[in-house]
Amino acid sequence: MASTGDHIAFDRVLIVEDDARTQRRLAQVLLELVGSIDNIAVADSVASAKTMVSSSAPNLALVDIGLPDGNGLELISWIDQHHGDTITVAISAWGHEEVVLAALRSGAVGYLMKERDDAELVAALHSVRRGGALIDPLIARRILAFVQLSPTEPFTPTLSAQAQKRNEAALSERESEILQFVAQGFSNREIADLTGLSRFTIEGYTKSIYRKLAVRSRTAAVFEAKSMGLL
Amino acid sequence: MSLRAWLAVLFLLCTCFARSAIAEQPLTDDAATIDLRSAEAAPAGWDSQTPPAAGWVPVTLMDFWDSRWPHHDGVVWYRLRWNQPGNGKPVGLLVDYASMAYALYVNGSLIYRDPQLVEPLSRSWIRPHYFLLDQPVLRSGSNELMIRVSGLSAYQPGLGTVTVGNPERVLALARRSEFVRYGIHWFDECVGAVFGGLFFILWLLRRQDSYYGWYALSTLFSSLYTLNFIVSSPWPFDSSDAWQGLNVAWWFAASVTFGIFLLRYVGVQWRRFERGMLVLAASLLVLALFFPRVAGPYRDVGVLLGALTYYAAMLGFIGYTLWRPRADYYALAASLLIPIAVSVRDLLLYLSIIHGDNMWMAATSPLTIMGMGFALAYRFAVAMRRAENYGVELEREVGAATRALTETMGREHGLALNNARITERLNLVRDLHDGFGGSLLGAIGTLEDPRRRQEPAQVVAVLKELRDDLRLVIDTTTHEQDTHLGGQIAPLRHRWSQRLEAADIDSRWSVEGVDQLNLGAMRVLELLRFLQEALTNVLKHSRASQVHVRIHCEDDKLSVDVRDDGLGFVPNAAETRGAGLPSLRARATRLGASLCVASSPGDGTHLSFIAPIAPQP
Repeated sequence: MASTGDHIAFDRVLIVEDDARTQRRLAQVLLELVGSIDNIAVADSVASAKTMVSSSAPNLALVDIGLPDGNGLELISWIDQHHGDTITVAISAWGHEEVVLAALRSGAVGYLMKERDDAELVAALHSVRRGGALIDPLIARRILAFVQLSPTEPFTPTLSAQAQKRNEAALSERESEILQFVAQGFSNREIADLTGLSRFTIEGYTKSIYRKLAVRSRTAAVFEAKSMGLL
Repeated sequence: MSLRAWLAVLFLLCTCFARSAIAEQPLTDDAATIDLRSAEAAPAGWDSQTPPAAGWVPVTLMDFWDSRWPHHDGVVWYRLRWNQPGNGKPVGLLVDYASMAYALYVNGSLIYRDPQLVEPLSRSWIRPHYFLLDQPVLRSGSNELMIRVSGLSAYQPGLGTVTVGNPERVLALARRSEFVRYGIHWFDECVGAVFGGLFFILWLLRRQDSYYGWYALSTLFSSLYTLNFIVSSPWPFDSSDAWQGLNVAWWFAASVTFGIFLLRYVGVQWRRFERGMLVLAASLLVLALFFPRVAGPYRDVGVLLGALTYYAAMLGFIGYTLWRPRADYYALAASLLIPIAVSVRDLLLYLSIIHGDNMWMAATSPLTIMGMGFALAYRFAVAMRRAENYGVELEREVGAATRALTETMGREHGLALNNARITERLNLVRDLHDGFGGSLLGAIGTLEDPRRRQEPAQVVAVLKELRDDLRLVIDTTTHEQDTHLGGQIAPLRHRWSQRLEAADIDSRWSVEGVDQLNLGAMRVLELLRFLQEALTNVLKHSRASQVHVRIHCEDDKLSVDVRDDGLGFVPNAAETRGAGLPSLRARATRLGASLCVASSPGDGTHLSFIAPIAPQP
């Protein structure tokens, strides 16, 4: 897991956003991280975004949840499954946590809220480039509730592959601990002080939590589909 | 009694046709017995000592003379003959029935005489009599029996079949007859006494179960009535009328108390009706004691009344059982079916509509008594079991009641909570008008002020303040489920930690004792706005390197401190910090506290207030 300060190269970045002004704002925010405007591609629909992802395989894709020809969540899910190397970050206006949670479960490693100041967005994207992910207390609480609702089975050798996968998706003690702190509003620095970990490590843990969330969602979906006879 | 008259006519006709049969019946051999059915009868006065010379008429036994000589109270002589073979052996003689008292002569010799042959008459009719006859009273060839019967026309006077023959066989007949007519009644009396006594004691110990008492009373009266079949002496009465009248009174009293027993058994009280019936029973008793000459001869009226009462009670109870089935009702109803069937036959026998020498009621009545006893005992056992299970039942019922109560209270609590939420939401909507809306209008006013040209940065700052306020409103409104202050502060704390960090301000938070604290959405919003404005001031104006936010809840007090190490200001020259301070004061006031501002230039700023946790009225 790339969580130890080595930056992920942001040399090909895609913005999927239909609003021109937001496109410009995001490009401006990204410029600091990617260096050149040439590294930033813009798509304004799901269809064009898929084409561009397939052709240029970007390192990072910022995906608006509300797109004219489809759902950003679907695009995030598609990218996660077909281009696993592309990191996706969801964009939403006020960040209703249902939508954010859905994005995380689709495979996004974070979310940006348009309401935030540019500086905050830059800080968030820096965190993503370091290999981490962003989280806030409401999302942490929702993830905790979600995890508690679907208890994991105890490990046994005869466990089905699917159940094993689910087991892999179980949060570690450290991860739950971090989520608990986040839910109480502690900053990453405070959590780092409390746990004795570096704040970058904590951002890595967050990313790992999101990954597990996505895995859980997928296996849950497969499980449900199988139980309904669709697979 | 027209039926009886009609039957009497029929009887007379029969005896007329049977006239030729009156002859000397022979005993053919030692082992044989013969029933003497042909006889001659002649009426006589109470003082008759010898058979009358004239007035003999042939009769067929069993003979009731009231149909032949109505209203004849006194003596009737019966003459019977049989032919005895001359083998010199003794014979047995069985006088099965003679009502009421009699004297027996064989070939002119007195063999037997009841103690009372005039009123009050002995009650010989209750049991058969066996005699062993030998020479010299017994003769070879023709023998003559003279039976002097004293009777009263009202009480079925007459003579039953007389049997002579082999002594062992006649004795066996006598014993059987005695058992059927006499022994069974004794048995009946004993069973009744035992059960009656048992339930009487039970009633003494449990007065609230009055049906035990009525059952015992009914059994007592029933026993007094049964004395009719087992007491041979007229004592203590001076007439048969008194005895019979009283007997009927017992019968009626037994039927009434039995009816009341059944009513009580199903838990019914017909007070007026019951009192009426009891008064009627008492009147019959008084009538028998003081006017025996009326009560006795007209006893059939009382008998019918009693029988009707019995039938009504029993049929009523059976009907009730079919309507409201219960295990013990079935047992009792079944035990009542026996007497219904048998008593119909006995009543007809009693009223001489059919003839027979025995009333079956006596044989079956122990069964009935036992059946009723079973029902009572069953009920007693059920009550006992219930008493034993009372604790368990009580616990279960209390448990059920508690659960129901909890549910109800839970529901009501939920409703109350819902109402509170709706109220809060309405308040929040109002706040959007007054608070956020007001800020918006203020911002527009400021930006439109023609005297001051606004810098774009200032416009952005105003808009961002509005945005932050809207964020707070959204967080407070959409996360109602986070009702405790700890959860409600977390988003603000997180956001501002990031912001302050981005501005190189080290923020330290100390939030304690708020995990269970529920201030209500409006006051929470007020507190969050206070914190946001205070932190905005720190971010914009203080140039602090450190800020410490402390929110402690202890002993019904909420204390809030925001302390920075920034530039500080002169508190009285409030305008140096913009319009922020009055707004902060107003918010603290709305939380029920007064804001304490400690600041001096170069020494940082300390805002603090202590608010009560309970909302101010």
